[in-house]
Amino acid sequence: MLRKSKLVSLALIAGVTSMGLGMVTPAHAADPVTITIWTFGDVIEPALVKDYKALHPEVTLQIKKSDLDPLNGTNMVTACTAGNGPDIAAVEVSYSGYWRSYPRCFTDLRTIKNSDGKSAKDIAGDYLPWRWAQGVGYDDSVIGIPTDVGGLEVAYRTDLFKKAGLPTDRAKVSALWPTWDKFIATGKKYMKSVSKADQKAGIGFMDSAGTIYSAVLNQGTTKYYQNDGTDTGKLVYATNPQVKKAWNTTISALDAGIGTRISQFTADWNVGMTKGTFAAILAPAWMMDYIKAQAPDTAGKWDIASMPGGGGNQGGTQLTIPASAKNKQAAWEFISWYLAPAQQLKVFKTYGLFPSTPSLYTDPALTGFNDPFFNNAPVGKIYAAGILKLKPIFEGKLNRAIDQAMGAGLGRVASKKQTATQSWTQVLSDLKKVTG
Amino acid sequence: MTAVLETGTSKERGVSKRPLNPWKPAKQAKEPKPVTRGIGSLNGKWGYLFIAPFFVMFLIFGLAPIIYSTYIAFFNWDPLNPGPQIFNGLDNFTNLLTDDRFWTALWNTLDIWAMSTFPQMAISIGLAAILRSKFLKGATFWRTILLIPNITSVIAIAIVFGQLFGRDFGMVNMVLGWVGIPHVDFIEGTTSSHIAIATMITWRWAGYNALIFLASMLAIPDELYESASLDGATGWQQFIYVTLPQLKNTITFVLIVGTIGGLQVFAEPLTLGGSMDGGSSRQFSTLTLFLYEQAFVNNKWGYAAAVGILITVIVLIVSLINFFITKKLAGEGSE
Repeated sequence: MLRKSKLVSLALIAGVTSMGLGMVTPAHAADPVTITIWTFGDVIEPALVKDYKALHPEVTLQIKKSDLDPLNGTNMVTACTAGNGPDIAAVEVSYSGYWRSYPRCFTDLRTIKNSDGKSAKDIAGDYLPWRWAQGVGYDDSVIGIPTDVGGLEVAYRTDLFKKAGLPTDRAKVSALWPTWDKFIATGKKYMKSVSKADQKAGIGFMDSAGTIYSAVLNQGTTKYYQNDGTDTGKLVYATNPQVKKAWNTTISALDAGIGTRISQFTADWNVGMTKGTFAAILAPAWMMDYIKAQAPDTAGKWDIASMPGGGGNQGGTQLTIPASAKNKQAAWEFISWYLAPAQQLKVFKTYGLFPSTPSLYTDPALTGFNDPFFNNAPVGKIYAAGILKLKPIFEGKLNRAIDQAMGAGLGRVASKKQTATQSWTQVLSDLKKVTG
Repeated sequence: MTAVLETGTSKERGVSKRPLNPWKPAKQAKEPKPVTRGIGSLNGKWGYLFIAPFFVMFLIFGLAPIIYSTYIAFFNWDPLNPGPQIFNGLDNFTNLLTDDRFWTALWNTLDIWAMSTFPQMAISIGLAAILRSKFLKGATFWRTILLIPNITSVIAIAIVFGQLFGRDFGMVNMVLGWVGIPHVDFIEGTTSSHIAIATMITWRWAGYNALIFLASMLAIPDELYESASLDGATGWQQFIYVTLPQLKNTITFVLIVGTIGGLQVFAEPLTLGGSMDGGSSRQFSTLTLFLYEQAFVNNKWGYAAAVGILITVIVLIVSLINFFITKKLAGEGSE
């Protein structure tokens, strides 16, 4: 009896395993293949690389990481010119407008099918439309598949809000600022409770008022370019009301003095997070892990409220297959597996990166995800709601350069080197040189 | 005499047991070895073969890119554009000469160069003088340790110095606070950001240059110091009238190499500010950072190439000025 059941179960295991392998392994399984990947940060997560190796023992993933995403971007330009790119390249979202103009540098993912017979056309519906659009070239070719989505909500310190006489409950806090004007007004109220000495020592309501700019800008549908079907798009930065609205909102936040003058991702920022130098951050989903790592002593003191003006996004990456890739088939097999909803769910559970596939937004693993560090806030639900509010926004060729000039302009106002009017005039004249 | 003889015998005894120290062959080789005629006469031809690797490499990786970038400087170049490039004559150069961003970058570069080079010279020569001292214990250890800043990654250095120079919680501001100086926003200010960058460069290169100075100090004959001290010169006078003039050529060398490197400062300002524009009012945008920004952010490759050519011209001019000034200064000292 015992022996028999053991045999049966053994046979069962063997059957299941071979079935499983048969289902996912492509026909040319036996040939060993090495996929080269250029990436940065933690776009390619180690736990999933392990999973893929178990599924495809014949595949070796050779991963090269850059310290900074600009360096990755630089390498991609030379790779396209010289035709010696990797099999897979991670492209950060701020480059999407640029690469959209050069689809010939990439493999059109609509023309390549994985072992399930699926090309990019067949999986497009799985992803958020605005996120998908960031990987589409001007000629409608699909050059990249979205990884996670940044999302953007307000992380705030309940203890500091309480001290300032503000509500601490996340629903009531969200109700404080349906609009950006109300958000700035709340900041002013907070600052009134801060003593003059503390204000002088650099205490503020939020970390960096400059972050308001891109948050407001991304809530619209047009940024610096309008889609006119050309490879670059038509420049509208000087006249687009959304740009001016983002600029003016940020200026009034700077004038109100609600931000510290600390820049994000600096040493001062890390220290300020622990010390309570600021009480609110416009935080993308992936920043939650950063806060936990930098300020472990503040566990339970944070909470998450929704964004003024409704929803927001910051960051994200596309996985692409450069035109010169040697193992396109294997690369597509990996990308279509790695970015499928099932794997994005695992990335969310393991690393906290928010999926770009909305079918997961109703998954209990996500809706039931509460974070004790953030006072048990239902972060899954909050971020999903904000992300779904966003509309596709057109990214043009020199978005990064224009972003940089706008950022510098706001920096000059923040450091009181120029008035807002002087700075705006200089931004426009700087941009003439950049786009001319 | 007897002492010399004794060391001689002990060394001879040593030979039978273990090989001679290869680093100290000079004392043994009293007679110059005869030069073999055959090889000597072939020197003319073989010499070319031996120096060929450098020149072949230089042609491929040095000269060819220079010619290529000179070529594209006359175009509105886009490397990813499959069609023909647009020729625009001297436009890139004339636009560049009227571009205030270029002049800002040039001024920043020269200022950072001056701030880092001259203190660095003083520190390096001072360190070398200390290392030369016969009373110093563990000289090899100290000499080795001087090289550590030089082999550290620039990005790591920038992260550490970025923390030191932080406006609110940086250690530099903490120390300034003790003496009653209000917090300085190092990154936002022009001079202050230059100080921060110059400090990074000095920290990285002072030790390396100290070793070069040390090597040339050790080559100064002891007789000069002996006669100087017989004449009653103090240690400081010996340093001024014996050591410094003897370092003439080394100072010229270090200055020229430092100038070429200093005019190409890139990683420090990039990592300090975290963006390509070198600060909100371009207060620490350097020439190479400006070049990089033009190519990789603004997609203006021809313009970037024109910047590159102007950098080469500037390096040449400054090196020549350097060369003549140091030669004159050091020459006066030795007379």
